[in-house]
Amino acid sequence: MNERVIPWQPTVIAGPKQALLVTPETAEMMLKKAKRPLMIMGPLIKESSALPFAVLIAEKRNIPIVSTGDMFKTLNESDIKSKPYGVVEIVNLLKDPDWGGINGEGQHDLVLFIGVIYYIGSQGLSTLKHFAPHLKTLTLCKFFHSNADASFPNMKDEEWIKYLEKLAE
Amino acid sequence: MTPKNKPKEFKNDFWKSKNFKVSIGEIVENKEGETAPESMGPTPKPNITDLRSWDMKLLERYEPFYAPFCDMCCLCTFGKCDLTGKKGACGIDIQAQQARIVLLACCIGTAAHAGHGRHMVDHLIGKYGADFPIDLGMNIDIEAPLTRTIIGKKPKTLSDLEEVLSYTEEQLSHLLSACHTGQEGSSLDFESKALHAGLMDDLAREAGDLAQIVALGMPKGDENAPLIEMGLGTIDSKKPVVLCIGHNVVPGAGIMDYMEDHGLEEDVEVCGICCAAIDISRYNKAAKVVGPLSKQLKFIRSGVADVIVVDEQCIRTDVLEEAVKNKAAVIATTDKMCLGLPDLTDQDADEIVSKLVCREIDGALILDPEKVGEVATRVAMKIADERENLKILPDLDEIQEMAKECTECGWCVRVCPNGKPMMDAVVAAGKGDFSTFVELYEYDTCYSCGRCEQECERELPLMSMITKVGEHYIKDQKYNMRAGRGPVQDIEIRKVGAPIVLGDIPGVIAFVGCSNYPEGGLEVAKMAEEFLERNYIVVTTGCGAMSIGEYRDEEGKTLYEKYGGEFDAKGLVNMGSCVSNAHVSGACIKIANIFAQKPLEGNFEEIADYILNRVGACGVAWGAYSQKAAAIATGVNRWGIPAVIGPHGSKYRRLYLGRTDKKEKWNLNDLRSGEVVEGEPAPEHLLYAAENRGEATVMIAKLCIRPNDTSKGRQIKLNQYIDLHRKYFGTIPDDISKFIRNEKDIPITYKKDVMNMLEETGWEPRALPQEPSTMAFREKAKGK
Repeated sequence: MNERVIPWQPTVIAGPKQALLVTPETAEMMLKKAKRPLMIMGPLIKESSALPFAVLIAEKRNIPIVSTGDMFKTLNESDIKSKPYGVVEIVNLLKDPDWGGINGEGQHDLVLFIGVIYYIGSQGLSTLKHFAPHLKTLTLCKFFHSNADASFPNMKDEEWIKYLEKLAE
Repeated sequence: MTPKNKPKEFKNDFWKSKNFKVSIGEIVENKEGETAPESMGPTPKPNITDLRSWDMKLLERYEPFYAPFCDMCCLCTFGKCDLTGKKGACGIDIQAQQARIVLLACCIGTAAHAGHGRHMVDHLIGKYGADFPIDLGMNIDIEAPLTRTIIGKKPKTLSDLEEVLSYTEEQLSHLLSACHTGQEGSSLDFESKALHAGLMDDLAREAGDLAQIVALGMPKGDENAPLIEMGLGTIDSKKPVVLCIGHNVVPGAGIMDYMEDHGLEEDVEVCGICCAAIDISRYNKAAKVVGPLSKQLKFIRSGVADVIVVDEQCIRTDVLEEAVKNKAAVIATTDKMCLGLPDLTDQDADEIVSKLVCREIDGALILDPEKVGEVATRVAMKIADERENLKILPDLDEIQEMAKECTECGWCVRVCPNGKPMMDAVVAAGKGDFSTFVELYEYDTCYSCGRCEQECERELPLMSMITKVGEHYIKDQKYNMRAGRGPVQDIEIRKVGAPIVLGDIPGVIAFVGCSNYPEGGLEVAKMAEEFLERNYIVVTTGCGAMSIGEYRDEEGKTLYEKYGGEFDAKGLVNMGSCVSNAHVSGACIKIANIFAQKPLEGNFEEIADYILNRVGACGVAWGAYSQKAAAIATGVNRWGIPAVIGPHGSKYRRLYLGRTDKKEKWNLNDLRSGEVVEGEPAPEHLLYAAENRGEATVMIAKLCIRPNDTSKGRQIKLNQYIDLHRKYFGTIPDDISKFIRNEKDIPITYKKDVMNMLEETGWEPRALPQEPSTMAFREKAKGK
């Protein structure tokens, strides 16, 4: 199997259904198609050079940001607006088709994940895979997430930044 | 019928010390001819469905959140069945399957504690007799709050604990049977059964710990339990060393007895890992604590132990293989773990010693704890000299040469449960820089599961390398941990019951559980320190208690040296091992009984309702890994105590999360006024997995809020919540308005900011419930 599509932690394989491997171009298409996307940003990219690109991706398209763990503080200190939730809390809300969404405009139809700790992120993606047929998930981490609907491949930092840069253009 | 309150005001030390017998109220006789209180509640010895209505109330508010760890069911030959959007061949769906696996996990955990308790109670009855009294001394009158509430009976002797275990075993059998293919089909009913399994687990733990406390003379709620030596640096490797691993104190006690009887205390080192360590040190303070579970492989690889005695639970199943590598002998001691070793229980001790010393066998199964004591000690004394070279650490040059073999494939990092930088550590070590190895070693940041080593394409002994580097740099680790004191005294509950219920003490935080930490044990100690400094009561057990002991503050003091062991604000209460977790629920139950005079016997729902709505307690299992931890958390949840687990806890597949956006879910019955009142999300969640320490710390403070808080108490709790939110998130939390009932609830320090926020959200004051309850209204309250 292509190493790029083996989950970063190979033991998270849950069953036969695996994420679609995407490039920045395919990710862009998913974003264009989405009406109410949401970005979930976790603490793993607090000190990463990926952070400004992730913020740009969201700001360029007016995508609201949910910050997980204690990521809110990092974003807030840079005047980047986000809403803090525990990753399990926001996933719990996302699986409810009747939830009004982060801005009260209706449930989201595409959720982007970046920077959430890999294994708890994988668990959240598994929840959405099973219990949220009303939305798609896309991960922008440098790790392949098999429980998402679509995921970037396993990459080294340099390639990852290029991927994000393209998506932020 | 509303049970009458039992009179409690005469239950104090004076009456007991004078041996006065006070009889108040009517006593009725039960079927067995024993006296039973008239106030027996509705559910003594509840069967699975007897508390189902309570469970459904909890589950309605705290809906199960499922995160499937596996999409498949592989339990029967219909399958494997892929449950992604489909049902299995038996008809089960993914929700019910997740709930079934959680029930199974809880049954496994409960069986581990019940089996452990059964083993111990049977042994102690054999040794001390069935009539050995359950007496916890002058200050503990409510000696078994769980047994009293669930069974409806005060246990007086060891044989009463046997009855408790028989009931638990019976329930467990029914619960496990529900996991069979073609039985339960509802996820909510699976959850109700899991909650029942958790309750049985709590009960079994109480029976186990009571038995060992009374029969083995462990501390009986003593806030001044002795400080125990802890850490690798406390173990004199020049002496013969016996290492005990597991949870069952009986074989370890056998070793301590043999040494004492033969005057060998100064000649042989006895140390322990995991709960066996804590319990042996409760039994005899000469026993030394190596540390939590995360020390296991590292310590075995260090070669310091001459004889490894394993009992049950949380032991590496390859312990024999690992021991053979450095010629340590293994003694298995319980039916739970025989390791393929020959059963030599009936052989003469001389013969067994001879076989082990001559390496005729690598280990032995010995089911007689006294014989274990003799054989382990004698073998250690005989083989220690020839093993001397195995305890000497190689030069770091050798590690450096090994490290140069690394091909930098990176798979050690990918298979690491925490993605720790093992490859970077090896690459740096190849260049003579051992600092990353040291970082991984300290506070068990690498908890030495050994997955990296199994994956290494050059077969580098990574665990041995990290052990040896760690020991070179941090070999003098010496700490103190307060020996497990057991339950909270009634007198302490009398003192702090009101401040806890009314909110003057911001909360009781219990750091329990295993050492599968995302960032090492330091995080647990830091959380404990944070809450101690903020006037909370901090209780601890098991691996959490040991991790807290491995940290020193800026003055060089461990938290056990800095804070007293009393159950009071700023107290750090080490209750003991995992089985001692029963005393956490026990303390909450005692508050309901001693402070609020709620009758215990057979009165589960009223007690749990009281705890849920009034006792600001929160459990934290930051490194929860085992099925026992799943059962423990589920057990405390049924009592109405929320728990926060670490990010790995998401792999338990199920959490209980509240929804603050659904206001109607938080309505309460005010039993005093007979009205339904608007409540608040307090506690907001029942089982919550946090991603990192900052998030966990803020959530823990929030989960201590209860509907019953007085305005002063609410102010104190909100002050802590806001403070911590500001520290870890930088702002006042935007859900603060949900917890402010009227202006009196607003913390003075933040009054202006909070008032501004309230104005923005269109907040309006609401009434404080006088007697908040999740239970149905009583007839009287309805005015009928």
